[in-house]
Amino acid sequence: MERLVVIGAGMASGRLLEHLLEADPTAYRVTLFNAEPRGNYNRIMLSPVLSGEKSFAEIVTHDDDWYAAHGVTCRFGERVTGIDRDRKVVIGERGEVPYDRLVFGTGSDPFIIPCPGHDLDGVIAYRDLDDTNRMIDTRPGSRAVVIGGGLLGLEAAAGLRMRGLEVTVLHLAGHLMERQLDPAAGYLLRADLERRGIAVMTQASTRCIRGEGRVEAVELEDGTVLPADLVVMAVGIRPSVALARQSGLVVNKAIAVDAQMRTSDADIFAVGECVEFAGQLFGLVAPLYDQAKVLAATLIGQKAAFAPKQLSTKLKVTGCDLFSAGDFGDGPGREDIVFRDPARGIYKRLVVEDDTLIGAVLYGDTADGNWFFGLIRNGTDISDMRDTLVFGPAYQGGTTADPLAAVAALPADAEICGCNGVCKGRIVEAIEDGATDLGTVRAQTKASASCGTCTGLVEQVLAATLGDAFQMPTAQKVCDCTDLSHEDVRRLIKSRSLKSQTAVWQELGWRTPNGCHVCRPAVNFYLLADWPLDYRDDPQSRFVNERKHANIQKDGTFSVVPRMWGGITTADELRAIADAADKYDVPTVKVTGGQRIDLLGVKGEDLPAIWADLNAAGLVSGHAYSKGLRTVKTCVGTDHCRFGTQDSTGLGIRLEKRLWGSWTPHKVKLAVSGCPRNCAEATCKDVGIVCVDSGFEIGVGGAAGMDVKEVQPLVKVATEDEAVEWTVAFIQLYREHARYLDRPYKWLAKVGLDWVQQTLGDAPERKALVDRFDLSQTIYQTDPWAELAVREKACAFAPIANLTLEAAE
Amino acid sequence: MDTVLENGRTFVEVAEIWTPDGDRLALSGGVYGAHARFAEASRTESFAKGEGLPGKAWAEARPVVLKDFDGSYFKRTDAAKEAGLTCAVAIPVFAGKTLKAVLVVLCADDAERTGAIEVWAEAEGILTLADGYYGAAKHFEWVSQHTQFPKGQGLPGSVWSAQTPILMRDLGSGYRFVRSESAGQAGLTTGLGVPLQVPGGATFVLTLLSAKGTPIARRFEIWDARAGRTAKLIDGICDRDGPLWDPENAGREREATVWEGPVGRVLGTGLPVTETGAAARGYAMMVALPIHRGGELSHIVAWYC
Repeated sequence: MERLVVIGAGMASGRLLEHLLEADPTAYRVTLFNAEPRGNYNRIMLSPVLSGEKSFAEIVTHDDDWYAAHGVTCRFGERVTGIDRDRKVVIGERGEVPYDRLVFGTGSDPFIIPCPGHDLDGVIAYRDLDDTNRMIDTRPGSRAVVIGGGLLGLEAAAGLRMRGLEVTVLHLAGHLMERQLDPAAGYLLRADLERRGIAVMTQASTRCIRGEGRVEAVELEDGTVLPADLVVMAVGIRPSVALARQSGLVVNKAIAVDAQMRTSDADIFAVGECVEFAGQLFGLVAPLYDQAKVLAATLIGQKAAFAPKQLSTKLKVTGCDLFSAGDFGDGPGREDIVFRDPARGIYKRLVVEDDTLIGAVLYGDTADGNWFFGLIRNGTDISDMRDTLVFGPAYQGGTTADPLAAVAALPADAEICGCNGVCKGRIVEAIEDGATDLGTVRAQTKASASCGTCTGLVEQVLAATLGDAFQMPTAQKVCDCTDLSHEDVRRLIKSRSLKSQTAVWQELGWRTPNGCHVCRPAVNFYLLADWPLDYRDDPQSRFVNERKHANIQKDGTFSVVPRMWGGITTADELRAIADAADKYDVPTVKVTGGQRIDLLGVKGEDLPAIWADLNAAGLVSGHAYSKGLRTVKTCVGTDHCRFGTQDSTGLGIRLEKRLWGSWTPHKVKLAVSGCPRNCAEATCKDVGIVCVDSGFEIGVGGAAGMDVKEVQPLVKVATEDEAVEWTVAFIQLYREHARYLDRPYKWLAKVGLDWVQQTLGDAPERKALVDRFDLSQTIYQTDPWAELAVREKACAFAPIANLTLEAAE
Repeated sequence: MDTVLENGRTFVEVAEIWTPDGDRLALSGGVYGAHARFAEASRTESFAKGEGLPGKAWAEARPVVLKDFDGSYFKRTDAAKEAGLTCAVAIPVFAGKTLKAVLVVLCADDAERTGAIEVWAEAEGILTLADGYYGAAKHFEWVSQHTQFPKGQGLPGSVWSAQTPILMRDLGSGYRFVRSESAGQAGLTTGLGVPLQVPGGATFVLTLLSAKGTPIARRFEIWDARAGRTAKLIDGICDRDGPLWDPENAGREREATVWEGPVGRVLGTGLPVTETGAAARGYAMMVALPIHRGGELSHIVAWYC
């Protein structure tokens, strides 16, 4: 009988012993070392033990009786200090054991972030039963911070929360479990955890852990301080290879093995997380078991070879049903099939390439996970079942998703008509009382009787309540990603407090994973307009001009327009502009219709530098490219003109300084004329102010493009302050209600000037609009030139490769 | 298969199912054990909405605990007293707005038997004990009356946030089950928490806490029924068979097929099922309770005693 020594009683080595002793119980006399004072248990089930859903006894895979019955000599609680490969002995703390064959099953060590304070008492990893017990022994009501929003961290967080602790999860990436989940599923997971009372902070980087002797708080890079009685680090694992390295085995990232699990020493093998095979490391249990099987066969002289397979992931948090497998990154030639059921919190995304399924992310309903996994693993041709694939194997010609699901799921107290404060329940009552069309509902409830943007929603409530008895008029949908109209999306973003793109995609049942080039800019605008403090602008959801902060020209160069407040400039500014034109070889310098100077023909890679130069002279971006405030055109007014009635230039400058930087549904142009002679052409602007002796006439909804429109009179006010207040309030009302890419005149045609006048005529409402505008400006009134001219960001403007210079030989 | 009476003393004596029949509730099944007279009295009974215990659970759309029959709305008081039954809990099963059935369990000898059937109700974001029957576990009853659970905490709070039945082990043995100290003293070992959906959006969580000596169940099962025609056993524990789940078997869990066996019948009908003897794996009583979510069957919990 040969002597086999196994170091480490983990899941891989436990499975190895099972296979080995079953296949040939007489082949080896086995000695099993384990530094933990206990034998094999199912480590992946520690999370249910932590939560109380399982007992430790239930997850023990091999108890003392099993070892005794199989003649395994156990050296538990004893660390191996060295290996003498020449004498073929393992040196334990309590003596040596000779071997004929040796197996490393040393597993991995948790990675501890080496930040200041990581060694304080109360900072633990989540790896073994001792860590688990430490968490279990923490008093309910204590505050725990879990660093790491991966599988292990979230399981720890959920378990701690069930134990009655106040739990915060810190995660470095933008969404939870970013290696296994796409942002949509990450959003649902986060919502699920927050429903449990677990606070989640993403993009949270730990600066240090504070405390005198024991942990007291965690401090983040942004200065946030989170009080903590317990800190659990679950940021990853590292193969435990010190002993192997010390023994002189070949160790790269982990112990290098061949397909038979043999190390660089023919009599020494390794299995589990301490192994590196073909450059790959292994952390999930399935490949570990495969390795154990292969090694058992190798040890009894049978032929076997290890080959890594596709893996799938599940999270062991009761009620959080998620599943992911395969590859779900974006790529050319890949198509997505997306199914969402907002009412039930379900998201399914399948990634198809060349008629095979290559990735799947399921959230909320994972019943078909293993079926999808089988299709991925086997590379099954799915072309025949593509149309019904997402519904799973049980699909038998069922129905497609209900486009009304999002509206049907709204609670009775959800506001449908914001103008008149009508909630869904009131509309349903009216319908139940016999109102079966829009007109009757409007008459009885006032819903959609004012600005009208909620009309689509009211119709959907009718349809959801009446079913076939109501014929839906066909509303123009945003794009093919959804059946909802722009107005519906705007209204739902507000009424359901949707504050991220992922929230919109999921809760409104988008058919694509991340929207498309049509809906993304619109949704990005709606979110930033409605939730300026919560939502962060997404440059990837903008058109190229807004991404580059310059207008792209037909030859691929850009135009640069510095802001000139109210059309006023100085000799110094003109000199700086002239210098910049010389320095960057600008071929064309043009005065624009909006009283600005346009430098045309600037190369993309020169943009950050020219901006920096213009910035240095005190000039900021003129936003000549943006869906936002463009220019305020003025005439010279009372300062110089004989006919001037007011300081039109001063008012123009004041308005421009107040409004610049704000994003709007479409571009916004203003003008202020000092008298009715209207030299600033104010009567064809989005907002045009004409000064008269008695004050200011404010007109709105003018245009002078493909459509030519004269402004409609909004109001006449006596003072400059009032003129500014009304203008700002009008712009904010437009920002809050118009659909994306509607100029004010188009929006006014839909909602009616009456409603706008009525709304703005209400002084408290007007003030509230101004307050909301100013709040938004605290975030968005920044000069993009100054931000982007800095070195790190400037590199985004460098050309990737200039193929035109390549020799043509 | 012989019926196993492991020590004869269980916490629940009778389980019965009342289903709507027109505008009344009629008996559609039940396990009465030795209480033939009470069974007889029940068979001739029916309840209008608001009438008797089942009718009250229907009308008020919430689980109801009744600890004293004398002078109450309980209609079968004489027969119950004769059988020694002292307490009843009625659990309405709704699918969306539709009442599918009312499950009634009755207990006896509250001075000698330990266990707990609790109803937790949400108010202002916190779960508090709406009512409960504890038998002899008086101190634990007192502790429970003075314990509250926010979302995600403890067995009731976790069931509430997960909207999924949860089985907890070793309630009193060193693990910090929020009420573990008192649970340990009372001998409570295993807890099953079940989310109850009722019309109107109120939140209720039912917990069954079982003690070794007078168990509510010797076997607990939780089935995931969302696939529709089959259900998967996702957790369970059994005094005889040990853990009923196998983590290494993920994806190949034990399955029940629609209409096959008591769990299959729940899958087919969406109604609770009671069984005894061979159909109940040889136990004297099994109860399978459907959990509906968003109007559809999502889980089935079963307990055997």
